[in-house]
Amino acid sequence: MKRVLLFLLMFISAAISMDAQRNISGTITDTDGLPLIGANVVVKGTSVGTITDIDGSFAFEAPDDASTLVATYTGFETQEIDISNTDNVNIVMSEGTLLDEVVVTALGIEKDAKTLGYAVDNVKGDELTKARESNIVNALQGKVTGVNIGNTGGNLGGSSKIIIRGATSLSGNNDPLWVVDGVPINNDQFVSNGTRISGNRDFSNGAAVINPDDVESMSVLKGAAATALYGSRAAAGAIIVTTKSGKANKDGSAKIEYNVSYRVDDLFVTPDYQQEYAMGDFAKYDSSSIGFDWGPRITGQTVNSLPITNESGPLTTRPNNGINDFFRTGRTVINGLSIADAGAKFNYRLSLGALNQTGLLPGAELDRYNAGINAGIQHSERFRTTFGLQFAKTMSRGTGATGANDPNIVGLSSFSSTLDPRNFNPWIDEAGNQINQAGPTSNNYLWLRNENRNDRDDTRIIGNISSTFKILDNLSLRGTYGYDFDQDNRFFSNRKGTIQRLQGDYTIDNINNVQQNLDVILNYNASLGSRFEVSALAGYNWNNRKRQDEGFAGVNLLIPELFAPGNTEQTIPARFFSNRTLFGAYGSVDMTFDGWATLTVTGRNDWSSTLPQDNNSYFYPSVSTAFVLTEALGIESSFLSYAKFRGSFAQVGNDTGPYQLDFLFNPVTVATGQYGLNINFPFNDRLAFSKGNVIPPENLRPEQQTSYELGAELDFFDYRLGLDVAVFRTENRDQILALPIPESTGFGFLRTNVGQVNTRGLEIALDATPISMPNFTWNTAVNYSSAQVEVVELSENVDRVLLASAFSSVQVVAEVGSGFELFAIPFLKDSTSGRPLIDPNTGARLAGEAQAMGSVLPDFTMGFVNSFDLGPVNLSFTIDWRSGGVMKSSTVDGLQTGGLAQETLLNRDGTFIDREGVIMNADGTVRDNDVPLASAADFWQSLDDNSVSEAFIFDASFVKLREASLSYSLPKRLFSNNFLNGVTLGVEGRNLALLWSVVPHIDPENNLFGSGADGFGVERASVPTPRSIGVNLRASF
Amino acid sequence: MKYIKYLSFVLLLSFVITSCEDALDINRNPLAATTADPNVLLPFVMAQYSNRHTTELGTRIMDVPQHFSACFNSARNGNTSIFLTGNTWGMMYSQVLGNLLLVKQDAEEAGPSSNNVAAIAKILEANTYFELTSIWEEVPYSQALNAQEFPEPTFDEQEVVLDGVIDILNDAIDQIDNIPSEGIFDVSTGDIIYGGDMDLWRRYANSLKLRVLMIIRNKKDVSSEIAATLNEPLIESNDQSALIRYSNAPGSFNAYNNLVEAFFGVSNEAQGVYGPGEVIYGLLQGDPRFDMLISNATGEGCPIGRFPFSFACARIKDNVIRNDLPHMLMMPAEINLYKAELAMAAGDVATAESEYKAGVAKNVAWWGGDIPGAQLTIAADVAEAFVAELPTPTMEDIHNQLYIESFIRPVVAWNTVRRTDTPELRPVPGSNITGILKRFNYPPDEVASNPNTPVNLPTDTPMWFEN
Repeated sequence: MKRVLLFLLMFISAAISMDAQRNISGTITDTDGLPLIGANVVVKGTSVGTITDIDGSFAFEAPDDASTLVATYTGFETQEIDISNTDNVNIVMSEGTLLDEVVVTALGIEKDAKTLGYAVDNVKGDELTKARESNIVNALQGKVTGVNIGNTGGNLGGSSKIIIRGATSLSGNNDPLWVVDGVPINNDQFVSNGTRISGNRDFSNGAAVINPDDVESMSVLKGAAATALYGSRAAAGAIIVTTKSGKANKDGSAKIEYNVSYRVDDLFVTPDYQQEYAMGDFAKYDSSSIGFDWGPRITGQTVNSLPITNESGPLTTRPNNGINDFFRTGRTVINGLSIADAGAKFNYRLSLGALNQTGLLPGAELDRYNAGINAGIQHSERFRTTFGLQFAKTMSRGTGATGANDPNIVGLSSFSSTLDPRNFNPWIDEAGNQINQAGPTSNNYLWLRNENRNDRDDTRIIGNISSTFKILDNLSLRGTYGYDFDQDNRFFSNRKGTIQRLQGDYTIDNINNVQQNLDVILNYNASLGSRFEVSALAGYNWNNRKRQDEGFAGVNLLIPELFAPGNTEQTIPARFFSNRTLFGAYGSVDMTFDGWATLTVTGRNDWSSTLPQDNNSYFYPSVSTAFVLTEALGIESSFLSYAKFRGSFAQVGNDTGPYQLDFLFNPVTVATGQYGLNINFPFNDRLAFSKGNVIPPENLRPEQQTSYELGAELDFFDYRLGLDVAVFRTENRDQILALPIPESTGFGFLRTNVGQVNTRGLEIALDATPISMPNFTWNTAVNYSSAQVEVVELSENVDRVLLASAFSSVQVVAEVGSGFELFAIPFLKDSTSGRPLIDPNTGARLAGEAQAMGSVLPDFTMGFVNSFDLGPVNLSFTIDWRSGGVMKSSTVDGLQTGGLAQETLLNRDGTFIDREGVIMNADGTVRDNDVPLASAADFWQSLDDNSVSEAFIFDASFVKLREASLSYSLPKRLFSNNFLNGVTLGVEGRNLALLWSVVPHIDPENNLFGSGADGFGVERASVPTPRSIGVNLRASF
Repeated sequence: MKYIKYLSFVLLLSFVITSCEDALDINRNPLAATTADPNVLLPFVMAQYSNRHTTELGTRIMDVPQHFSACFNSARNGNTSIFLTGNTWGMMYSQVLGNLLLVKQDAEEAGPSSNNVAAIAKILEANTYFELTSIWEEVPYSQALNAQEFPEPTFDEQEVVLDGVIDILNDAIDQIDNIPSEGIFDVSTGDIIYGGDMDLWRRYANSLKLRVLMIIRNKKDVSSEIAATLNEPLIESNDQSALIRYSNAPGSFNAYNNLVEAFFGVSNEAQGVYGPGEVIYGLLQGDPRFDMLISNATGEGCPIGRFPFSFACARIKDNVIRNDLPHMLMMPAEINLYKAELAMAAGDVATAESEYKAGVAKNVAWWGGDIPGAQLTIAADVAEAFVAELPTPTMEDIHNQLYIESFIRPVVAWNTVRRTDTPELRPVPGSNITGILKRFNYPPDEVASNPNTPVNLPTDTPMWFEN
């Protein structure tokens, strides 16, 4: 580290300053007259300049011959102002297109977009709040290229996963780095109370606490060249969030904004239930056969025991199998209040937010309260400090369980034609016993929802402080420290009397996650002659991440609902700890010639605590270049308004997780068993230890990712048609992976460097303004992204590794020669016709060998964003199209094998011949299947025999009307009282329509795995996705 | 001066938190150890073996020898889903043999004072290899557990593995014989089977050896080895049985009942999860063990493929399916019945009859009250009368009693029916194979990572030891 200091000091001493002979001053405001704080203003062709202060003013000494000022500000068009004849200018900047924008790049460095040699997508804050999402990740859907966003379903506060430019890591490092106001934050997501497949409670990813109302802009940095300065942690891209800072009203008064949204949710997709046959089996009625409708035809017959009530009466159906009686209308209220002000030496913005939701699932509630402050102090002309503190308290209740093997799971295949869920009420008697169950072995769903707890209380504090000292006019030093604290407390219980947990139990899981980050950056700008501009930086980074979990499970409660260790017959404690530190030193040089050719070179070296001490250092470079053809050739054409080409090369290293280098014996509290039937230690009063299952690595090297990107940005017809094209290729080598080895060696894995995964892709962003009239504007944008992942090699004799397992029948694997594949058991097929082979003894399909069944990632995604402005009225909507990729749905499995779905009505009475199948004759030829199954029930139920999944694997493509909003801004003339400055009313909706999908009965986006895993393409008892419609009001004072 | 102050502030901010390269020296897990005592490794090995064994094999393949009529995710119709077999394979090689190897190595480094520890590890190792080859036939043995030298272990023929098991047991017995009289490592805490009693371990080792030799005997002459083993101390009484005990303490439940209570509710008799197959139901008619094992409300055994909760048939009693049912590794009745079988094969009917009756008597006594936690008992006079009235056995009778003796022990029972072809089992409805399941397919993880894994054979292909 001493070398880094020495380097910094040498850098300072080498800096030069330039003589100043003229005092230039003025102000910079936006089109509403609001001062822009921190805007850059420099003499063109030099680095002489300053930034605006709190009230948008600036003053500096400029060369006597200075003739043009250049003003830049994030999100605004760059302005050039003639100062040949004046020393005082008032500059009005307007929000601009990307091409003229200053965008936030790595380390919060603002750059002119046209000098960037790589792709950056910028999303403004108001785009995120047009149709509100409680998880900010989802708000990006369809709005940027190169990202793939997935979520688990309709759980309140559920996680969302974002992948940038395809998955390239086999070791789970596919999540982008989130950076808020220059400080990396945790976007982790941890599983609780079981596994991701067994009674999973999908709690939100870390970034979900960001209040969209506080966001000024988000930059999505996609290629390694864009993120190289962040180092290894941003190998999968970075999302840079800039929060709003303090601004005053035009009249100098504090600016107050208030907005409120009210939204209702209902079921987005409902299964096509059959309503002709009753609960039961073998055509016999059984009132306890919930979710299994192979009973008799419903003819109004009287039965002795109706479901739940056990009373005699006529059998009747309940529309939609009663799911509309069970799932309720969800409601969301979002309130936001902010006050911002700015004075001569300070600015601040205080914000308060409240999100109050009730979910579709009975008992599901989420309350999130945000409070934030961003402030800045101008200590002196050269010294400025900003700080921010975001506080978020999230409390969720009644999160739904998904997956299997948990009594609390209630999915869309858990209902029946003749069962009326309204009869579940009441679910408890005065003595606290469960009543009104559907059968002796099933729980009353309202008991599960109201008596068993699935709670999470999360406290998040994200703080940052940044001081900038301007050593010279063209040399500054910035230190930024960030602290991200997360205390995530979870509580689960099964009340005594819950079937499958009859004696009651509870689990506490308290997760503490703290990240600290420090960056010290020395910035230098200079002009070499009149045409060359150089900017350079050198920096130092320290990052520490510490996580501690304290868990406790109490089993068999003496007194119900008394969650004290002394009240349980068995207590199982759990603990987890990890700590890791990374040091980085980095530098970057930008050289721009005449404003149209830019070369950027960066380098970074990291030292990681998780790597062997003698090999813990790794260096990675990047080079990028941007070339603005129209400026270089002086093209001024109304047809070709702008043409820029860009290219980049970058390498990024990566470390591994903590504590993976030593051979260790772990204290064990659980001896695992099938179906989650575990036993615990101490067992018969004995403690237990076990060796790890991974052979520690020898000579571990850092991972290495190499990326190439070429792109073009073209604008036509006076910027009314824009095209941004990027092609990229990424080679991810030497991945640090726990490589599966034969378990007959005594170990399951060997941690080592292996393999190569290549990703190549194409991104096209087309934006246009087809109509631009004084009172009517239509803006449209199409975003196309494709990323093909290819596993080139793994290791000798290893051509498949497991990424995520979803019980017995489905896995997500990486397979050499293909990508991330769904691995499952298909039907045995006739090799000629491809039709399933039928067992001549049974008439049922035969099982084949497990194989890759298709990529779980899409071939491409497209977003269509449209916005219409008619005076004060704005209408906008977004359509998402995902093409390709497969998914396996256990809900569809349940709906079909349980005889619940409409298609199971075919040939219900009598025998059933599987007409798709063929039978192999003795001579090897095949004939159409002619062996009947005893019934349609036998056919449908045989489809998943022997863990075969093929019948429930579907093309996951879809087209959705993702969001739409209609807003109306009240005329400003109505607000002449100087109190109210503006009011906007709006109607908004999300997940409005599934326009096309081949997956029956469910939302094809539902996924079992939360954002913390690389599991895609598997659905199992998901909480249904909501469709949301609401209204909002925004007022400023 | 003012600027120096500001500059100092920024630099101070930079280094107040980090100042030293020692900050990188934090990569040691504070919650794990670099060494472990056998008294904590052995309980893990034994309990993990037992729980996985029962949940993965017990609840899945007890309907292959048709002790149970049906199991969840059953392999009875010939398909051993490759996803499910992996857990047993991984448990045996990694969790059991992998840990035992470390225990054994440490013990042998310590010298004769840890002979007891090394011998226990070897006996458990031998049992594991025996079960591995019983399930998959050809398995890695000679190159197993040595990743550095053999990263892709070859698969040995069953004969080689079985001979190797005998060698391991001989080695273990030899170490027991050479335990010094003083200064012995105290393994009483870690040994949850015999509490460190090495005389009982010697009996178990010899008895296990006899079990393996009886398998080998199906294919080649090992009469001298058997004769020698019969002269060694064997498990002779029920109180010498090799057991892993469960209890009624939560977290220590036997998985058979744990499954019932986790997924259905209290009591197998009430929920009807496990039902007796028709064959064992028939064999136990008139036997006092019937009322210990079977609840007979309906008067018939369960057809193969039917669970009692969906078909009116008998249920396995709560006297069996209970939280504290011990994991039965070996009991003395099996030894007597082997002796009976050997005598019968040698034409010594008298000895065969006495050993046969001794074996039946011990097993009746076992289920009639000797088994830990028994809820029901058989009166001594009833037991004696039953045994006394047994006719002179045929070989089939002996094999039938071995079949009954192996009740609810998946690998032992499966081996018994494959070795003896007795009793005649019922056809499996909807089966993809001829007869009963004879082997598992290799798990996908081993197939994917080890090119030496043999091609899977049809699962009704008999193993080497079968006639």
